[in-house]
Amino acid sequence: MPNPVRRVYLDNSATTPVDARIAAAMARAVVENFGNASSVHGFGQQARAAIDRARREVAALIGAKQNEIVFTSGGTEANNLAIRGLCEAATTHGRHIITSSIEHPSVAGVCSELEKRGWEVTRLPVYQNGIVRVRDVASSLRPETVLITIMMANNEIGTIQPIAEIAELVRERRSTGQRHLWFHTDAVQAAGRLRLNVDELGCDLLTLSAHKLYAPKGIGALYVRRGVRLYGQNVGGHQERERRAGTENVPGIVAFGEAAKLAREEREQRIVHDRALRDNLEAAVLQRIPDVVMNGDRERRLDHLSNISFRFIEGEGLLINLDLEGIAVSTGSACSSGTLEPSPVIRALGVDDELARGSIRFSFGKENTEDEVDYAVEVLARAVERLRALSPLTLVSH
Amino acid sequence: MPYSAKFKEHLAHPRNAGELSDANAIADETNPICGDRLRLSLIVKDDRIEAARYLAYGCPPTLVCGSVLTELISGKTMEEARQLTRADLLDAIGGLPSRKHHAAALAIETLNSALSLL
Repeated sequence: MPNPVRRVYLDNSATTPVDARIAAAMARAVVENFGNASSVHGFGQQARAAIDRARREVAALIGAKQNEIVFTSGGTEANNLAIRGLCEAATTHGRHIITSSIEHPSVAGVCSELEKRGWEVTRLPVYQNGIVRVRDVASSLRPETVLITIMMANNEIGTIQPIAEIAELVRERRSTGQRHLWFHTDAVQAAGRLRLNVDELGCDLLTLSAHKLYAPKGIGALYVRRGVRLYGQNVGGHQERERRAGTENVPGIVAFGEAAKLAREEREQRIVHDRALRDNLEAAVLQRIPDVVMNGDRERRLDHLSNISFRFIEGEGLLINLDLEGIAVSTGSACSSGTLEPSPVIRALGVDDELARGSIRFSFGKENTEDEVDYAVEVLARAVERLRALSPLTLVSH
Repeated sequence: MPYSAKFKEHLAHPRNAGELSDANAIADETNPICGDRLRLSLIVKDDRIEAARYLAYGCPPTLVCGSVLTELISGKTMEEARQLTRADLLDAIGGLPSRKHHAAALAIETLNSALSLL
């Protein structure tokens, strides 16, 4: 079979293509800023200055102060540092965590790990729209709750969670005596797409990842509000104010700084661009393909992402059919060792297994074009038709 | 282990998809764990499989196993078809990752169910 001539990348929530400007900044840093930023000589201080500049840019993206940014190897490490680091530091005050049922595995996994070690974890439902209810957070709070960790926007369906409202609830509780209660949000999907200001949001900890912002993999950050105590998870060095030991990844940090600067400058135009493509895809799918269900809230969601379930067929078959024609999308479902694992996020919406198995995520980025959307819809309509012709599930319904 | 070229070819161009209206054996089996489903219809005359069609729901290996199975069994005698094993099917596909072998098991089980009706 010939290789596909055309390649269309519609999986920007998984990762983004690297922006040439960011790659150039990183390449310069690799060569010019090779010094160890902990060294007192000129080479080291040059690397330190590059890190400081990048830290200011990352802080500016979320309205933080630069000494509140801890660079990590990525979003997963930042989530580990936030949750484990805070819980270990707060253990004398309580051992209860509130989270949602649709968190990224790097949050859900750390919570499960702490649960095995004796922590209690409340996982809040999200209902059909994929959004946590603030009143559920309120009713789950206990005197021994030390951490609420709820994502800013979901990675599979893009739904935006009521972070500022939850932070307000946290502030109220603190003012009435529950001083040892903190709030973390994983903003990996939201950063660069929503306007973020940590003071307006009111969170104590916030996770970022550079490779969702057109920078390479291997660099992320945790915002730690001044005064919040964390136990470092990487120890054995003084870097990152004792919160993350290890010689800094200067080229990665420089790339993140450049990515944050560009995200701040270009956010509005990127949103308008991505939203137009997403809306066109959804309109065309609804017009051309029957028996589809759009997953998640239609309004409170990120502008670049669409999650659609196609009845009677399974997501992975559709994904590979699209891949054969050069189109990259993703599905949350997985089938391994004969065990069905429909997307936990789509299942949390209360839909049946068939819909959960047939869900596909399309996520747009600044490099995508209208022409690519047209091509994707053409290929998609054909692939869905072909797979439905094979499906025994259509026997009973048609 | 990546999917073979033959696997992808069958996924993009399934053979013998559909259902035979004049079938003399139809079997419909579901993997109770993952929910994958395969439906096989056969026309058998004079102890030989004259035609086979399939419908499938599930992960790509299940879809491809249905397609390859119908090619393998068309023209075979009942006895030859009964001798077909999961390994034969996996060989014909060009291999599958071990975690996907259940798809071949479902296909052989469905074939045997259909043959048992005759």
